[in-house]
Amino acid sequence: MIRRLAALLAALATTPALASTTAPAPLPPPYTAAYQPQGVDEIGLWKEMDEDERVLASSPILIRDEALNAYVRGVLCATVGAARCKAARIYILRTPLFNASMAPNGTMRVFSGLLLRVRSEAELGAVLGHEFGHFEQRHSLAAFKARRSGTDILSWGAVLAGMLPYAQGAYNFQTMQISVYGRLARFSRDQERDADLHGIGYLNGSTLRPQSAAMAWRNVMTEAERAAAARGQAHPRFDRVPYLASHPCDAERAETMAALAIPDGVGRDDGAARYAAALAPWLPQFLDDQIKLNNFGASDYLIGMLGEHGATASLWVARGDLYRARGYPRDLVSAAEFYANAIALDATLPGAQRGLGLSLLKTGRRTEGIEALRRYLQLEPTAPDAAMIGMLIATAGPGQ
Amino acid sequence: MKRARVIAAAIGMAALCHQPAAAQEHTAVKAGFTLPANSGKTILVFRPTVRVGAQSTGGIFEPNGDWTDRARANLETALAARQAALGNIVQPAPAAFGEEARLVEEYQALFGALSRAVIEYQFFRGNRLPTKKRENKAGVFDWSMGSGVARLPGARDADYGLFIYDKDAYGSTGRKILQVFAALGPGIAVKSGEHAGYAGLVDLKTGDIVWLNADMAMGGDVRTTEGAHKRIGQLLEDFPGSTAATPPPAGLAK
Repeated sequence: MIRRLAALLAALATTPALASTTAPAPLPPPYTAAYQPQGVDEIGLWKEMDEDERVLASSPILIRDEALNAYVRGVLCATVGAARCKAARIYILRTPLFNASMAPNGTMRVFSGLLLRVRSEAELGAVLGHEFGHFEQRHSLAAFKARRSGTDILSWGAVLAGMLPYAQGAYNFQTMQISVYGRLARFSRDQERDADLHGIGYLNGSTLRPQSAAMAWRNVMTEAERAAAARGQAHPRFDRVPYLASHPCDAERAETMAALAIPDGVGRDDGAARYAAALAPWLPQFLDDQIKLNNFGASDYLIGMLGEHGATASLWVARGDLYRARGYPRDLVSAAEFYANAIALDATLPGAQRGLGLSLLKTGRRTEGIEALRRYLQLEPTAPDAAMIGMLIATAGPGQ
Repeated sequence: MKRARVIAAAIGMAALCHQPAAAQEHTAVKAGFTLPANSGKTILVFRPTVRVGAQSTGGIFEPNGDWTDRARANLETALAARQAALGNIVQPAPAAFGEEARLVEEYQALFGALSRAVIEYQFFRGNRLPTKKRENKAGVFDWSMGSGVARLPGARDADYGLFIYDKDAYGSTGRKILQVFAALGPGIAVKSGEHAGYAGLVDLKTGDIVWLNADMAMGGDVRTTEGAHKRIGQLLEDFPGSTAATPPPAGLAK
């Protein structure tokens, strides 16, 4: 019974693919700057978000690098236009997940995991434009009102059901609950579709290539496939969503975005080279955070994708760290090789010498390992782990 | 024999029924801590966390910007008016920027987490943490934020820090109607409104929480001047070193 119900709900939740019939997203309408909240609900929400923003501005995970902040802001402005981008305040958070969010008062949170995953200004612009779409369409307010009416209906339902005799009341109430929560989830998915439409609309009206938006979603799906494969899990499904999903499925989003992009835009620049240059100083840090998520398949895929046009020394170090963190004996042999590749490109990277030394020690090549660790301490005598590494050099046994 | 067992069972039941009323404490002072009135100590007040709104029919919090603004202003005025009665020098914490502002924010968050832990694991007797068993047996209140508080801006020239949290959700008309119908119809008890507040005094040298008062059902309408005075009075009830504590009768709360 439950299984049949679940199947029915899954079928209801799947939406027909609309990609083939979708027209390109319209260009953004004229914009009124400095919007102020109206009505009790909106003013109340903004007030809460203003308090949140006060805390956010002092957050220890905020990335305060001026160059990176100015660059991300520049991409938002290039996407939504100079008038609109004044309404948003961007906060880059050191969180290794693919996400961004927008509060109704114009607070935009961008996760470092998003910056690690997108490959060009156009892809980043698509996500930032999507978030700006939520803001311009006042989605948070509408979602709050929907949630409030939904829970209002449910509480009256609970009272009335309590007055019905036998089990009928409880059964009816359960059905009602499933339907109300289902509607709220669908409402949220529709808002996301609307934000996607606006995001691509901004890109269509910009100088960036709107076709790139779909790329970001295809890459996300590939990453999920690799993650599942490395763990020996079943192939993930991208063509349908769970009943209570807040977002449409990835395949639908990729297809819709591709269809929403204006065909003339295909010849435009996507800003991939500028993006790579702006992110370069932060890549080692973002990769390190990603590796610590202990998701081998996904991290390996991301490192591979970043090195598509030739691996750099820091990418070799990242791959070495990834293998060394998993730490099977065969991984340590591979890790030593990756660190050696990094050193061949740049012999002054302390992280490469450290990783090489530690991997070699564990695979029984003690003398070479200690040499590498010595080079590490020479390159970075004030490293936080200098004392510990010094002790390893002095006392390292016969390895393994 | 049988009769004795029945009586024992009855007493057991009575004890069980009685427990909840006595179990929840809402104020505590660190063992051995005294702050005599007019001892000339300086107390820094950090920016209070204030959230005021309505409770919808379904029970979700509906933030209200106007009420929050009014409540913040009212509470600040009421606190200032009460300073003299607290018997010490009470002054607002200095404005902080950059790294210092981050530090203040972190300690505000830490105080919030710690107070919630105290309410959950100390004030509910039955919930006391096993790792703090020995102190629990002796009824000792021993919680600390760590000596890092000494780095807070203004901490060098002060002795104690006062943190205040307040959240009010006033039951909407819809919620009240639901409450009546639920009670009359199926006999379900629906709670209307939420009025929680806590205030804590921290030693700015050691970081120890020397006094904490937490009440999840407070009185006084913070949207009005008189209500805010009553609320501050309740929040700072039993405040160490206060000279003219006049807590309002508990029955009149709400």
